[in-house]
Amino acid sequence: MSETIAAAAQPIVVFMFVLGGAAKLASVGSETEPGALGRLGPAVLVPERFRGPAMIFCGVAEFGLAIGLVFFDHPIPRWMTVAFFAVSTYVLWDLRRRRPDVGCGCFGEVSGRPVGLRSIGRTVVLTAMAIMIALHQTSGLPGLSWTFAAWFGGGIMLLLILSPEIEESWARLRYRAPCEQRPFPADRALSRLRSSTAWRTHYPMLRSEEPSDSWRELCWRFYAFDSVNGSDVVFAVYLSGRRPPVRAAIVGADGRQAPLQESIPVSA
Amino acid sequence: MRLVGVAMHVERRRALAAAVLGRDPDPPRLTADDGVMLDAVSGVILDVSPHLIIVETDDGDEERLVIAPWATAWRGGATAPADLPIGSRVIIRALRSGKVVDRIWADITRMTGIIRSVSGRTDLAVELDCGPHRGRRSIVIPYRSSGRVRVRYPKLEPGYLFDAIGVIRDGAPLVQLPATSQPAYRAGSVPPPPPAYGGAQSKISGTAVWSDFTDRGAAYAMLERSDSGCEDAGVSCAGLPYLALGSMLYVRNVCAGRATALPIVACGCMAGRFCDRCVECGTSPRGRIVELSATSYVELGGDLIKGCFNARVGLT
Repeated sequence: MSETIAAAAQPIVVFMFVLGGAAKLASVGSETEPGALGRLGPAVLVPERFRGPAMIFCGVAEFGLAIGLVFFDHPIPRWMTVAFFAVSTYVLWDLRRRRPDVGCGCFGEVSGRPVGLRSIGRTVVLTAMAIMIALHQTSGLPGLSWTFAAWFGGGIMLLLILSPEIEESWARLRYRAPCEQRPFPADRALSRLRSSTAWRTHYPMLRSEEPSDSWRELCWRFYAFDSVNGSDVVFAVYLSGRRPPVRAAIVGADGRQAPLQESIPVSA
Repeated sequence: MRLVGVAMHVERRRALAAAVLGRDPDPPRLTADDGVMLDAVSGVILDVSPHLIIVETDDGDEERLVIAPWATAWRGGATAPADLPIGSRVIIRALRSGKVVDRIWADITRMTGIIRSVSGRTDLAVELDCGPHRGRRSIVIPYRSSGRVRVRYPKLEPGYLFDAIGVIRDGAPLVQLPATSQPAYRAGSVPPPPPAYGGAQSKISGTAVWSDFTDRGAAYAMLERSDSGCEDAGVSCAGLPYLALGSMLYVRNVCAGRATALPIVACGCMAGRFCDRCVECGTSPRGRIVELSATSYVELGGDLIKGCFNARVGLT
């Protein structure tokens, strides 16, 4: 059974590599707004002049791994694939913590939505698939059977569910304007904020339910509230998608972000 | 929703947004590719001679600048710097750390708005609506300028857009030059921006113009009406993304190869209604993407008489 799973996982992983590599290389060459490349993926963590080359390196590496998996029956490309996805999982987790506004960049500019648990879950699933491939030393073209087809279809369905890019691709098929250019009522964003976990977590700190300031920048709407200890609680609501990401931070008068643990009062 | 003292918070917005999204709160460092900024001095002439000009700046400081031998001045027409009257309001493009005068524009003003009424037979008195934040303005098109204005503005009728450069004489703004050709549509019928099929924002290139406001920074058209307090905001034919008062814009003068980061300080609702192109160096894409203060415009290497330069903007 596990050999069938590994055989079904291999074409999926190869396809993801080819698609991701091509999308990354295409997004490097596209004429996006100055700085837009910096909002895509882990490239934002490197200095600005290396962002383009980092994206190209990542795309070429994905192509190289795809070729290695298909044409070379050797453990090195298989375990390199495991390492690639394992490192990607960590990098996405770190990216979510350090730069919550950037997308994962996994499929170029389509992956502009901020990194969430779905993107991270996808790399976890791909890591698991890569481990199965490496353990069973799967290579070359698989043989077809009904069990294989079921696992293959199930793997694809799982990845589709975990792909936030689907919504963005659907929006493009409908020729919608980018979310930076779409009007979005402030009240609607506020209601989304109030139904979020971040709001419920920080609600006891707020002096008032009415924001002291609200503004919009690109795809984010910001709400600043006065807190009971004199600092500001600021929320950022992403203005696209059904369950948009909401980020929160507590900022002191000096503009520095206060640690969360010290700021939330603990009630008995 | 009640927003308390929005203006007080604008300065802090950048720090708060940086904190919640993990961005760098400091403005980006400019690189060698961004060129060297010129210096601009804005103030009133206290004294002027063929070699020296003394100006009281907007901050109340007294500046003494050497007038370069090649320096020229404009006050409704080309003139020698020494002939500028004392008390004139000037904008000076200065070199050598802002101590050597290269070019002077005296009593210059820009008249951008929607025509509300036109009266008169020889000298035309025009009432302009300059937007909710700038109010109405009465200007005069003198008979000697009306020919060149009429060529570029064949429909000098209420409801159409108007944009001209002129001088202030005895408190009255007098039109000298048309700043652009008249848009063929009425001010309320701004063409929609070209459809953006891609998910990512395309490179934003277009026209940068200047306006009379004194704060260093830029006026931007695509602001949310509820945030900016500007009822006419959010209209642009250039396909701009939504930004806010306080956002930092990276503005590049493509013609001069100079760039800087400027804060958005005002609503550019009038600039958003113009779909013209700038032909300062090549032909820019359609639409005014940013309206700069006169000093910021000069610092980026623009000529106030020409009225625009080809620009590219991005969010820093």
